Amino acid sequence: MTAAAAAPVRYRAPRANGAALLTLARLVRVEMRRNAMPWILPLIAALFWFDSYRPSIGAAPLYGLRTYWNMGEGHTINDFGPFVAGVAAWMGSRDGRRGLGDLVAAVSRPRWAAQLATWAATAIWAVAAYLVFVGVMFAWYAHQGVGGTPPWWWVAVGATAVIALSAVGFAIGAYWPSRFAAAAAAFTAFLALVLSYQIGFKHTSGWALILPTNFHGNFEGNAQVDSGIFYPWLPDLPIARIMFLAGIAVVALGLTGLPARAGSRRLRRAVAAVTLAGVALAGTAVGLANSAQLAAEGVVIPALHDAANDAPIAYSPVCARAAGLPVCLNPAYGRWLPDVTAELAPVLAEVAGLPGAPVRAVQVPASYPSNADGPPLILSLGGQPPVLSLSLGQLNMPGPCGFCGQVPTQEFTGQLQYLFARAFAGAGIGPGSLVQQAVQAALLLKVGMPFAAQVAATQNIPGSPQGQAPEPVYAAAQRLAALPAAARHDWLAAHLPALRAGGLTLGQVP
Amino acid sequence: MNVEISDVTRRFGRAQAVAGVTMETGPGVFGLLGPNGAGKTTLLRMMATVIPPTTGRVRLLGRDPGGYGPRQEIRRRLGYLPQNLGYYPGFTVIEFVEYFALLKEMPPGRARQAAATAIERVDLGGRAKAKLRTLSGGMLRRAGIAQAIVNEPELLLLDEPTAGLDPEQRVAFRALLRDLGARATVIVSTHLVEDVGAACGEVALMDAGKIVFQGTPDELAARGEGAGAVGDAPLERGYSAVLAAARSATAAA
Repeated sequence: MTAAAAAPVRYRAPRANGAALLTLARLVRVEMRRNAMPWILPLIAALFWFDSYRPSIGAAPLYGLRTYWNMGEGHTINDFGPFVAGVAAWMGSRDGRRGLGDLVAAVSRPRWAAQLATWAATAIWAVAAYLVFVGVMFAWYAHQGVGGTPPWWWVAVGATAVIALSAVGFAIGAYWPSRFAAAAAAFTAFLALVLSYQIGFKHTSGWALILPTNFHGNFEGNAQVDSGIFYPWLPDLPIARIMFLAGIAVVALGLTGLPARAGSRRLRRAVAAVTLAGVALAGTAVGLANSAQLAAEGVVIPALHDAANDAPIAYSPVCARAAGLPVCLNPAYGRWLPDVTAELAPVLAEVAGLPGAPVRAVQVPASYPSNADGPPLILSLGGQPPVLSLSLGQLNMPGPCGFCGQVPTQEFTGQLQYLFARAFAGAGIGPGSLVQQAVQAALLLKVGMPFAAQVAATQNIPGSPQGQAPEPVYAAAQRLAALPAAARHDWLAAHLPALRAGGLTLGQVP
Repeated sequence: MNVEISDVTRRFGRAQAVAGVTMETGPGVFGLLGPNGAGKTTLLRMMATVIPPTTGRVRLLGRDPGGYGPRQEIRRRLGYLPQNLGYYPGFTVIEFVEYFALLKEMPPGRARQAAATAIERVDLGGRAKAKLRTLSGGMLRRAGIAQAIVNEPELLLLDEPTAGLDPEQRVAFRALLRDLGARATVIVSTHLVEDVGAACGEVALMDAGKIVFQGTPDELAARGEGAGAVGDAPLERGYSAVLAAARSATAAA
């Protein structure tokens, strides 16, 4: 040791806020360099790949479907949560475990500032990893040509959840500086997320929508598919969840700043006020979630809703022809345009030239179910001249469909042709009149779909009447199908308005 | 006076660790001697503002550490090496010392340089980038001393600073102590009397929570002359004689 080897560096205690911030930044830099979080990231990465990414690629290449599993059900949060909470607890308990209590108590910088630096470094690592992992996953989706836009608001919810879990874990470690704190915090986070997930299954509305892994909301029902395609992902519920999670983070960090050793009385008073603000923020968010309503484009929270978010996304449709009629889809569905035109062509040809037949087919957005109106129609005819509206978002498109396995083209064909026949006959939401059922059965017979296949086609169609029709319906259908094409055409041309109005009886079918 | 302590006591539950200590000291190296359990560490912790006294008055660097503002002022000018030095195993020596420089509110732009200087002063310059977990016990102790002196303190409290140091390092450390004592008040708690003899201008001997002797090392050595006390060196004999006298006085009372 050298008594006069180097001149000591003298200093004057800094007072400026700028210096305090710079000091905090330097502390964070040192903490980031020696943080425990990077050591656990390979494990999280493996779990993320196995639990968040891998199952998602089984779904159809649309963002609403691909992200249902990892963002909607919150598997990404589940993958990060327990590990982040555990590591944060490990870092929060560090001074106590390592016997630095006296050393850090004898310094002038408030204890809480140093703790915040340690937590911030842990949280920065965790959030950065979360964003990188999700970013890579979305980049890979984009490479695979997934249609639509990513649900960025739900990514923000996940990032905030990571922050909140790190704060809770850190607080557990700070209050319980034991080697078991990390395991306890990880297990607590795991239990909390499981509980959130289970409640999400049972509670489709109300306060439970605030829970970060409750998949109800913008990921509810079939219309989730068209979020980010026809209209933007509504930010209402994500904002409420971000408020809730941020409130939890503020409360957890605030609790670490309340003990006498944390800092001056004035500082602790300010921290107490901030902690109460965090409680208020989380409570307000729960109240907002309780006021959520399901609208056509997703979950709307009146106090947070911005009408500008209801504006549809502009797009240039991709079009082809089926039986001479133009069929136009959203470009996100472009890969299925050949399937749709090929499968609609036979039924469109069967009714071509009739006064009520469609002159073109266009895709329309799927809408969320409305309790008042029943399930929305997937295919419908309307307008003058008639236009066939295709709400494809409510159907499983051919190809991979996640946990339903693989949708064969044959199944999609049956569904599309069945739905067209129902729409043409004017059956509406229910099974329709007996004559409407007979006409739709006859049309399907003519395009080569026997009665058994017609019954099978009703499966996996949301809101479709199931089961066989009465026997007289099939008899009438066979009679109508057996007529020469011209005779059947003439009969339909003469009776179509009455048929759609439900005014015919089976006896009037030739 | 940089340290003014009058009639200070400290209890932990039923145990009385410090039982009415009064002392004053200014710049220079002050040795605090005593057997295990004498209350040296508790007295040092009170001087380090880690724990408050149960009763009595403490003034450090002319300020009362009971108030938050004065306590922070004291801490900015304080260096403290605890008896059991905790450390972050993953930190390098330079990071550890810089970290505490920042916690002591050194200007961020100068903390790194100050840390490097402190590390040089404890002869750890060659291991500045080594992780603390790779250091020997003596090196760790020196890293602890570096963090204590990084802010060039006006009051430096060292609890068993030479524990684990090899003889060569102890000699060098004593030189460092003398240098630091030229500008600041340095209080060294130890039960190694040779450290006191070599570096301290003044010494206090504690036993059972009380100061039973305060004077110069020569005065302490003189207490052992002709008293038949045990010890190989004059200071050790003085140490033993004072302790024996204090204990017999306590027993008689």
